[in-house]
Amino acid sequence: MQYQMAQLLSGKLSGHDYTGTDIASVVITGMSVVFIGLILLVLFVSIYGGIFNKRNQKKKAAEEAAKKAAEAEKAKQAESKPVSAAKAPAVEDGIEEEIVAVIAAAVAAMGAKSGKKLVLKSVKRSVSQRDPWAAAGLADNTRPF
Amino acid sequence: MIDQFLSTIADLAKDSGVAGFFVDGGWKNIVMILISFLFMYLAIAKGFEPLLLLPISFGMLLTNLPGADMYHSEFWVYQTVGDNDHYIDYGNILQHGGLLDILYMGVKLQIYPPLIFLGIGAMTDFGPLIANPKSFLLGAAAQGGIFFTFLGAAILGMSAAECGSIAIIGGADGPTSIYVSSKLLSNSDSIGVGTIALAAYTYMALVPIIQPPIMRALTTKKERSIVMGQLRPVSKVEKLIFPILVTVVIALMIPSAAPLVGMLMMGNLLKESGVCDRIAKTAQNELMNIITIFLGVTVGATTTAKTIMTLSFAKVIILGVIAFSIGTACGILLGKLMCVLTHGKVNPLIGSAGVSAVPMAARVSQKVGQEEVPTNYLLMHAMGPNVAGVIGSAVAAGVLLSIVAH
Repeated sequence: MQYQMAQLLSGKLSGHDYTGTDIASVVITGMSVVFIGLILLVLFVSIYGGIFNKRNQKKKAAEEAAKKAAEAEKAKQAESKPVSAAKAPAVEDGIEEEIVAVIAAAVAAMGAKSGKKLVLKSVKRSVSQRDPWAAAGLADNTRPF
Repeated sequence: MIDQFLSTIADLAKDSGVAGFFVDGGWKNIVMILISFLFMYLAIAKGFEPLLLLPISFGMLLTNLPGADMYHSEFWVYQTVGDNDHYIDYGNILQHGGLLDILYMGVKLQIYPPLIFLGIGAMTDFGPLIANPKSFLLGAAAQGGIFFTFLGAAILGMSAAECGSIAIIGGADGPTSIYVSSKLLSNSDSIGVGTIALAAYTYMALVPIIQPPIMRALTTKKERSIVMGQLRPVSKVEKLIFPILVTVVIALMIPSAAPLVGMLMMGNLLKESGVCDRIAKTAQNELMNIITIFLGVTVGATTTAKTIMTLSFAKVIILGVIAFSIGTACGILLGKLMCVLTHGKVNPLIGSAGVSAVPMAARVSQKVGQEEVPTNYLLMHAMGPNVAGVIGSAVAAGVLLSIVAH
């Protein structure tokens, strides 16, 4: 069998010049090569996936522990200084709370994407007269390569 | 004067395309034009892969209009030099070829399919596959359709090159089918690249009709109702390593699969790196669209009356659907095996997504699964085997190319 496969791979099939065993070995060789290739990939991906997964979990565990410690500390601080609440963003007059909430949510979503914790410090009306969409378009078109 | 007028009119009529219909075998062109209308109808009214079938069917119309001279199948005959060395006379094509001849060089020289793969790579998220690497096996099993169809075609007495070209339809991957068949088939074979592409794209459009009955027949209600848990999140570094790893492993193992897999993975790396947004977007959109137009219209142009109106065409159509069905069945059967081995954690329905046809096959798995348990979301689980199927059929293509002489 092995001999046949080796023969098959050295001398290529062409025209109508093939036998039943040739075809059978095409089927067997083909399927086994595809499976061997993809099994190799399964192994590699599993190994590095396993490593990264473990590392991520460790990181997560460490983060959680740190969070817990921080919370415990905060709780301690809160006991001594009960008035320290999260700083509310400075909002210009005439901007509705709903809009502030939407902006805060968008900022939080962006922060979650990059893994950073962003804080909304203040909300002010833009001084520029250019429509924000037009400004975005302008920026997109004039950004250098 | 009237005589002169009449003779001029007669000459014009003789030179016109209409006269071409009345010469020997001209009726075949009329049949082909009608078939092209049918495919246009399927693409426009029925939404059968319109992005490809519409250019293909229009190419089919153009090439069968007598006298338009846009594509010449006789240019693509291999010239033989010495004992075994054969080549196509590209100089002759550049000098005398029509528009579609020039564009077809991109198919014959295997330029378009890898570029399409670049775009596909830039659009694909391999996350589900990295999260569950065992999906690779399902993507491999579904390639069974390719090799068993090779057997079927051989039994029907096709030549080795034809067997390989028909079998690759079972990979359910248009660019791969075109890649393999354009490399294997020469003008002396009874089928052309266009025939293979037409069959492949038609069957890909029919995936939602062909697959579900096979999926239901091979699985029990209990198996179909298996709910699979959430996939683990995949980190960015893993996504970055994946394309590089796959390219190195596959290209070293099966060098002839390197153009397809390499471009697929390069596209993916461009996307995942996050620093080449402009290029990734071009690969996904502009480049992919341009190549799709060139590929579609030229592949359609190869369906000249001479190559299609043969008994072999019927064989391609029949073997193509068999290839698809066996591929689906192989995927499902391995899915069942994995279900038993994992004590019912794997829903065998995701196996059928191992035939490429991204993302249609995965959607079919999702739909059939939801018929049993409406809250079951198999889509992401099925995307794993689905994208593995793309890699699998590129590997299978490489194997076919290294076994069959071209």
